Amino acid sequence: MVKHLFTLIWNKKKQNALLLSEILVSFLVLFAVFSMLVYFYHNYKKPAGFKCEQVWAVSYNQSFAESNTDSVVQYYDAVKQLLLSLPQVRSVSLASSNLPYFQRTIQYGIKQNAISVNNVNSYDIEDSYAAILGLQIMEGRWFDKSDITFKNKPIVINNSLKQRLFGNGKAIGELIGDGPDKDKRKVIGVVQDPKFDGDYTGAGLASFSRIDTGNIRWVGNMLIEVAPGADAAFEAKLYKVLANSMKNGNVEIEYLTNKRKSINYFALVPMIILSIISSFLIVNVALGLFGVLWYNINKRRGEIGLRRAIGASGKSISVQLVTESMLLACLALMIGSFFAIQFPLLNVFDLPAGIYLSALLLAIIFVYMLVLVCSLYPGKQAAAIYPAAALHED
Amino acid sequence: MISLRNIEKVYRTDTVETLALSRISLDIAQGEFLSIMGPSGCGKSTLLNIMGLLDAPTKGDLQINKQRTTDLSDKALAQFRNKILGFIFQSYHLINDLKVLDNVELPLLYRNCNAKERKELATEALGKVGLSNRIKHFPNQLSGGQKQRVAIARAIVGRPEIILADEPTGNLDSAMGNEIMDILLDLNKREGTTIVMVTHDENMARKTHRLVRLFDGSQVQ
Repeated sequence: MVKHLFTLIWNKKKQNALLLSEILVSFLVLFAVFSMLVYFYHNYKKPAGFKCEQVWAVSYNQSFAESNTDSVVQYYDAVKQLLLSLPQVRSVSLASSNLPYFQRTIQYGIKQNAISVNNVNSYDIEDSYAAILGLQIMEGRWFDKSDITFKNKPIVINNSLKQRLFGNGKAIGELIGDGPDKDKRKVIGVVQDPKFDGDYTGAGLASFSRIDTGNIRWVGNMLIEVAPGADAAFEAKLYKVLANSMKNGNVEIEYLTNKRKSINYFALVPMIILSIISSFLIVNVALGLFGVLWYNINKRRGEIGLRRAIGASGKSISVQLVTESMLLACLALMIGSFFAIQFPLLNVFDLPAGIYLSALLLAIIFVYMLVLVCSLYPGKQAAAIYPAAALHED
Repeated sequence: MISLRNIEKVYRTDTVETLALSRISLDIAQGEFLSIMGPSGCGKSTLLNIMGLLDAPTKGDLQINKQRTTDLSDKALAQFRNKILGFIFQSYHLINDLKVLDNVELPLLYRNCNAKERKELATEALGKVGLSNRIKHFPNQLSGGQKQRVAIARAIVGRPEIILADEPTGNLDSAMGNEIMDILLDLNKREGTTIVMVTHDENMARKTHRLVRLFDGSQVQ
């Protein structure tokens, strides 16, 4: 019977083209939506890799008239001491502008032997940074004062970067970079991937370096860990202290928890909009499918009457029409899958293949369910066609 | 073979009740070729549909091969139609999207019959109606007479005991009509197939064993 139905579908390919296109379009839209949903879920279920509670981000625009770097260092030491003297302040770290959840990027590329890795996020920080954010050390250690004496500049990398450069091999003690050995940086630690771009976005590749005192004058951000209960009143006090220390510094204080909410919200909004649009599209496709099937059945009343006359029961008519729709869905899904499978093969958007494959599977299941639901009622109506009447009409 | 007792058929709508058949009693023996005649709307096709289990009588009893059919389920009726009955229609009712061979194979699809067997039986049936050279054609590539021969092949492919033909020559000119009639007569004579044929054509009816005339839903001869 399946072969017979395939023959029938093939011989009616012109009539079936519209239905096939509708199923194909709905599959491709669903594949896109599911890819996004799976990607977001995949990221969401991963640990954050750091904590943002009780961490405030300070941005400022301090300019230094002194050309002497030591003076700048001393200035920052004084500011930090001043801040640490406040009972609500637990720790302070200067940091580059790409603070967690700030959606600013400083990226570079690494060449390591035959491996070339691009889009590595570079974070310039101080020793207290890891403790403030609660970064999880997986291998090795975080920076400490002994790192000043290192021949090669020490670097801490995240786990994703370690996997890309060294796989499951040893990373601690390895030199990275493609210049002469003296310019290479020495890996001293590996941290769990911190999701600095929000809960729904991948951690990406990251490396952490101590702020070079030669460049400290250009630093314009710091992270402050405050005690629980630090409130708006303390924020005002902190602002005054900083404003007094940084004349014309345009100091701005933001809570990382608020930044996290905001970045998550902005990640979800396009997904919600796309989901709503695709829901409307799917409803339209469902109505279209329903309509086309209904129309086909009305056009095929004579054929249905004939089949009843030569031995088909009502149920087998219903099963035949549903099977025809499902076979048509199979053809559309085969074409759609051909296009969808290119995404993991060509590594489009640099997403893991598993995300595309999961989305592909979900889209296939959804389309089959959609076609099944849309063809059940027309199939039932076809089964109820009275053969004598249908044969007489034709 | 077919026994009808006091068959009545009433069509009801919200406002109108139409008596299509009134107290029809008829016995058709095995191997008989019976024709049913009467003016349009007298209930000929309704009677054929009831004999073909495509329609149920409002009252009365129908037995085929001594089996009462009025109590059978939809599935049992479908099997009965598939194995015992063959249908030929005035407008052929071929599926235009299927080739001749596929059209003829159709009744066998509803049996446990493999593809090879289906093809053999369908080719044999087409051979009997002289269309062995048209198996790969589509119905719209055939003449009216050829289409009706395909319909006959489809009706006989499952080797039914009874063939019910509803004006099989109605859409054909006299030469083609005679051709079709010869095939049916030959089938009845050689294979002993019981045939019930509705016709408007007196000449065709005369060629059959017995003629039943209906008028306003009642049997008058």
